[in-house]
Amino acid sequence: MKLSLNWLKEMLPLTCSVPEIVEALTFAGVEVEGRQQRGAFFEKVIVAQIESFEPHPNADRLSVCRVNDGSGLPRQVVCGAKNFSAGDNVPLALPGAVLPDGEKIRASKLRGTESEGMLCSARELNLAEDAAGLLILPGDAPIGASLSDLYPPDTVLELEVTPNRPDLLSHYGIARDLSAFLDLPPAKLPEISDNSDRVREDPGVVRLEAPEGCPFYTAHVIRGLRVRPSPGWLRQKLEAVGLRSINNVVDVTNFVMLELGQPLHAFDLSKIRGAIVVRMADPGERLRALDEKEYELIPDDLVIADTELALGLAGVMGGEGSGVTATTTDVLLEAAYFNPGFIRRTSRRLGLISESSFRFERGIDPEAVTRASSRAIDLFLQLAGGEADESVVVGGAVPDWNRTVEMRPERCHKLLGMNVPDSAQLLVRLGLKPAGGNRWEIPSYRQDLAREADLIEEVCRMAGIQKISSRLFASATESSSADRTHDELMRLRQRLAGLGLFEARSLTLIDEQALEYTLAPTSDALALRNPLTEDQKILRPSLVPGLVRAAERNLNRGSSSVAVFEIGRVFKVGTPEESVSLAVLVCGERQSKSWNQGSAIFDLFDLKGILKTALSRDVIFMREDPISFAPLLCGIVDAEGNSVGKVGQLRPSLAKEIGARDPVLVAELSPTPGANLQRFRYRPLDRFPAVTRDVAFVANRELKYQLVLDAFASANEPLLVDVRLFDLFVDPSGEKVPRNKKSLACSLTYRAIDRTLTQEEANAAHSRLKSQIVERLGVALRE
Amino acid sequence: MDNDLERLQQTALEEIQQARSKLALENLRVKFLGKAGEISRLSENMRNLPKEDRPRIGKLLNEIRNAVTGALDSRLDAIEAEGTAQVLSDLDETLPGTQFRVGGLHPLTLLQDQAIRILRRLGFALADGPDVETEWHCFDALNTPANHPARNDSDTFYLPDGRLLRSHTSTVQIRTMCAQKPPVRVIGPGAAYRRDEIDATHLNQFNQLEGLYVDRDVSVADLKGTLEYFVRELLSSEVETRLRPHYFPFTEPSFELDIRLPGIQDGKWMELLGCGMVHPAVFEQINANRGDSAYDPEDWTGFAFGIGLERLAMSLFGLPDIRLLIENDQRFLAQFAR
Repeated sequence: MKLSLNWLKEMLPLTCSVPEIVEALTFAGVEVEGRQQRGAFFEKVIVAQIESFEPHPNADRLSVCRVNDGSGLPRQVVCGAKNFSAGDNVPLALPGAVLPDGEKIRASKLRGTESEGMLCSARELNLAEDAAGLLILPGDAPIGASLSDLYPPDTVLELEVTPNRPDLLSHYGIARDLSAFLDLPPAKLPEISDNSDRVREDPGVVRLEAPEGCPFYTAHVIRGLRVRPSPGWLRQKLEAVGLRSINNVVDVTNFVMLELGQPLHAFDLSKIRGAIVVRMADPGERLRALDEKEYELIPDDLVIADTELALGLAGVMGGEGSGVTATTTDVLLEAAYFNPGFIRRTSRRLGLISESSFRFERGIDPEAVTRASSRAIDLFLQLAGGEADESVVVGGAVPDWNRTVEMRPERCHKLLGMNVPDSAQLLVRLGLKPAGGNRWEIPSYRQDLAREADLIEEVCRMAGIQKISSRLFASATESSSADRTHDELMRLRQRLAGLGLFEARSLTLIDEQALEYTLAPTSDALALRNPLTEDQKILRPSLVPGLVRAAERNLNRGSSSVAVFEIGRVFKVGTPEESVSLAVLVCGERQSKSWNQGSAIFDLFDLKGILKTALSRDVIFMREDPISFAPLLCGIVDAEGNSVGKVGQLRPSLAKEIGARDPVLVAELSPTPGANLQRFRYRPLDRFPAVTRDVAFVANRELKYQLVLDAFASANEPLLVDVRLFDLFVDPSGEKVPRNKKSLACSLTYRAIDRTLTQEEANAAHSRLKSQIVERLGVALRE
Repeated sequence: MDNDLERLQQTALEEIQQARSKLALENLRVKFLGKAGEISRLSENMRNLPKEDRPRIGKLLNEIRNAVTGALDSRLDAIEAEGTAQVLSDLDETLPGTQFRVGGLHPLTLLQDQAIRILRRLGFALADGPDVETEWHCFDALNTPANHPARNDSDTFYLPDGRLLRSHTSTVQIRTMCAQKPPVRVIGPGAAYRRDEIDATHLNQFNQLEGLYVDRDVSVADLKGTLEYFVRELLSSEVETRLRPHYFPFTEPSFELDIRLPGIQDGKWMELLGCGMVHPAVFEQINANRGDSAYDPEDWTGFAFGIGLERLAMSLFGLPDIRLLIENDQRFLAQFAR
């Protein structure tokens, strides 16, 4: 909401500076989001009258004006505008004036003709957007007067009012709260006629057929008024807070809403056939609203109708055909209380939010409806003439408002951690009345005050949060399983980062097509009912699509290598629905060429090594049938034989699509049970030296290394402590090793825990193992 | 013989002294000490000597052998030392170091972990809750009116079964209190979702850190003390803070905490987090769900807060575009790996 400080000051004797007002509002709970200077806050710009003008002798588009600046001496000003006539009053910037854009005015020659100042447009003075020509001032503006007399400088604040405080959605509401907050005299309103004893019910004029939605409706008719432009003061107030002036009648309804917070609507009486009927819309009923759009209504929508048709959406927007126009003479003024829920429903459903619906859906003060109506009628009579009907026709009754709430001072003390001895006075300042015991009567404009905590909040706000002194506690809390998981995952993240990978964080929502970009395609993904866009519709069942996307981005930006991981939640239909997953993607240079090392490209075994090191446990890859996403696909199995995830290489066409020239390798696995949970346990250090023996052999090309390991293991050789493959050689030419064979060389380490091994013992064990692989795998030893 | 021996020793020592390389030394070792070397040859000649001369000559030969061996060893040390000195003096210590891969954690992880560590120091334990939530956990239990706009399809993501993607991590408060009796002191980091268009300042998914402390005597004073400590530790001891009244359905009183720090948002007040005292209606909802009165609002009070990490990261690190946090550009990530 926009708040004009000039307007506010008419109601409240505020003497403090703008920053002080901003601070007061802030601590009263109203955020100030913007600040804007308005009006003529510049000097040396005055009202001048154009006495005569003639074309510039040397420039077709300029005129030379003779103006009266009130000094009695004639003044000559050159001007480029065309929209004026002799006798018009216009703004004159005198030499020495500084315009809002910083332009300094000085006496000068324009195309050889003397110009003593500048005649200004509204935009040049920052008074309106209109730059079409000179700002034509009212004919009665005193010549020579400063423009700031006509356009008083004002500061307009953009406020964010929280949804629980509809009472602050008007200038009077803000004034009322600030007066309490700053302990100033009560906010004051102009004299308003009291029409409360002039009411009557008349179903021939107002019929309430939906009292749930509209419990109280008032209609006051004023006849013979004259619709015309609003006077300057009214226009200025509306324009200051961002509303366009339309005519005196419409402007008054808007003015009263901004002044008192009660939305009003003025109907052209001649357009109403029969009575005003407040009812629910008929199915399929249509309405053309003031925004010139046609809306199809449903029986959930509350409408204001006449005996024949809907005239407007109650509390949201009037209809096109029934509003006040230049020819209107008789007006029916509506002031009503609408049930917030009804207004909210229609406003949301139609996506139609107006100043009026904004207030009604938050809840207006039901006891202030008639006052607002009277205020508007007073202003109509003052600005448009005419005669108001003797009586106000009402339907229904003001919703009963009677609420008391208890606030125990000791409870207040306990919750705030501060004793507020004058809490009662603070509540009185806010308009609450003592109702006996610790109970308080709540005014009808503060419907948000519903229980004790609400009153304590008011005491806190009024007493000042700054006054509460801070207290710092600390005491032990048992760690939770979430604590342990967090720590394990942080450790895992750090290890992966230590191995040279970057942590990625991607969004949960992915597109349906990305479901294909995973090592375990699923049709069991969770999907949204109301996605915002098609590409964010699915709750990711895998982190792989996110990493593929990250790889693409990095490769497209010229990166020679991608090494990323993500640890995050994934989703699937079933139990558990959400789990934590770890994914790793590598592609491109693992090591770039340097003076002391060659370059290397990430391969499957780099990824295997990364996983083994990061997880500090053995991982076994077991080949699986390829899928379209990954022509190379393996299951990942831990040392106990549990399947923990999958690893694969991206389809080359897809790799190319994302800009990769090297293999893109990706793994995804569950990092949870036991991964890093193993606790440390001391094992005696080796005391005796180890003996190493190598074995080299030629095997069939398709022999898997795992089988070699299995063969060694099956010998159950207690002295064997380690097997390391140090050479693998295939010869496509078939010269050194036949084409269908490969040569492997392993280094085997032997050690006894209780003695130094003799050469003989080591040799004997080594021979046994050599014959083991020959017998089991049929390989040929290379001696 | 004696003279021969003396000459031999002298020649050997001279030649050794003049040797310039390891190879030359090795040749000399063979020449003098090898099986066919001169000392061996003389030793073999011993049997031609008179018996009485043999012990003396034998001793002399031994002395020569020792002297030659010693000379060879020390000359070798000297040559090696010269070689090392040469290598070291030739070494260009300004050559670049070996390149190792550098990785790093995501800035949001760093920030989140830092926040967690600070709050743990005060005795907060971590708590958890699902991203996919029921409307009860996300709204009803948090005293959100049935017609509150946050519940609209336009604001919150829903699943076909009526559940939703939590719009705030305050659900963790509810999860925790439903599962355990007071006192409770937990923090819940996690993702929350809003149905927003993604642009330079908005994501539809963001990270929050929720905090909840419920005990017999928790007051606004504790809330203030905790949050002031938290931001001081997280940002700087220079940071200024202020609490402003605000509105959330699930806390009463409610506040926003602003911070002011040179270098962040031009030293202007910046909104950092929302907080407040747990609304008694929330406790009543929890009790109804638990079927007991473990959280009797007359006995227990509490505070809660929720901080959005993306906005803080943007101000703290000076990010011009929030999407940097989800693009995973390694050049960006590397800036946080130093």
